[in-house]
Amino acid sequence: MPMTFTVDPRSGVPIYLQLIEQVKRAVALGALISGEQLPTVKQLALDLTINPNTVARAYRELEREAVIDTAPGRGSFIRTDGAGNQTGHAAADVVRDVVDKTVREAKSLGAQRALLTEIFQGALDRWFPEAQ
Amino acid sequence: MSTVSIAHLRKTYGQFVAVDDLSLDIPSGCVFGLLGPNGSGKTTTFKCALGLARRDAGDIRYDNVSLVPQTFERIAYVPEKSVLFEGITVAEHMELTRRSFARFDVKRCAELLAGFGIDPRKRVRVLSKGMKTATAVALAFARTPDIMILDEPTSGLDPINQRVVLNLIVEASANGTTVVFSSHQIGQVERAAERIAIIDRGTLILEGAVDDLKARRKIVEGVVDEHFSVDGFAGDARVAYVEHNGRIIRLHAISNADDLAAELSARGAIGVRVLDLGLEDIFFQSVSTAASRPEA
Repeated sequence: MPMTFTVDPRSGVPIYLQLIEQVKRAVALGALISGEQLPTVKQLALDLTINPNTVARAYRELEREAVIDTAPGRGSFIRTDGAGNQTGHAAADVVRDVVDKTVREAKSLGAQRALLTEIFQGALDRWFPEAQ
Repeated sequence: MSTVSIAHLRKTYGQFVAVDDLSLDIPSGCVFGLLGPNGSGKTTTFKCALGLARRDAGDIRYDNVSLVPQTFERIAYVPEKSVLFEGITVAEHMELTRRSFARFDVKRCAELLAGFGIDPRKRVRVLSKGMKTATAVALAFARTPDIMILDEPTSGLDPINQRVVLNLIVEASANGTTVVFSSHQIGQVERAAERIAIIDRGTLILEGAVDDLKARRKIVEGVVDEHFSVDGFAGDARVAYVEHNGRIIRLHAISNADDLAAELSARGAIGVRVLDLGLEDIFFQSVSTAASRPEA
């Protein structure tokens, strides 16, 4: 199995959410590609020494979010339909979470909307100079 | 199906109430972790559940049936203190277990013992405490029971063998075995258990799925001015308790942490953030809240 996951069981972030986030990130980065098989629930539970129902819960959620397909008796696979779009979709999810967290933190520190707009504009100008 | 149901269990030793009105429902195939300080009633609960101690009140059911002799064919129990016979060898224990339990897998037992590095020719007397525990664990898992009850199954073991035991729990669970175990090592419970209960002084303090508890229990922290009143949050059902030290306020949230954070901001707090809690934090939060409650 090429893909390696790690979880931090002591973290306050539920383990199943850590797994979901890692699979999505791996898909977004192209480390997991369409049609690629994930370890079985039992195998991943043993590899990480975590509860099998926790792994199953993460897989169920990933299936509900159309990231993977599970065929009974065959295993779980990264979805093949609309693979290009889907990869982009997962990337957008990751970015949205990061930006959302940043904006919430900035607001709680007392930053105003105008300041944040200015900061984001500056960052966009720096990383996408061609669009100016 | 292999459910375990404990209802309104009460056990006293003289004047001492070891377990008081304890109810636990353990679903089939679940790994259930029992946590609590020393003397909180974990071992007594196990003993009562297995009929090894006589309960004062309450009901114990396996698959909705009271404990009958046949139930013991399906349950394996590893007690905290070794009950192996000191004078005979590990191999002789295997033979005893094989004669007693039809489902005992001799080959599997030999593999498990080898995994722990235990020579079956050795007498129990010469084994360390940890190796006695490991022997009992190997004998129990090789019985492929439907229900496994383990009291401190990793005590005295080195980190590598602790991991071996945890993976046995994980594997058994993946194969449908219901596992109930106690441990003082919260990190192990956090890994292997799907649900946990925390008991303190014989009473249930907290019960739930580990991931759900982590998703709900948070600390909402913010900086407020010195005139800030905590009254609105102190009696809030979403808040276990409030810490208010100078300008820092911390709400120990039981639920809806994001809403509480928004409300705290709306009331003028700055730097409001939601902190995640590990199971160890949740354990201390629960046990200290319980300790501060007035005695019944």
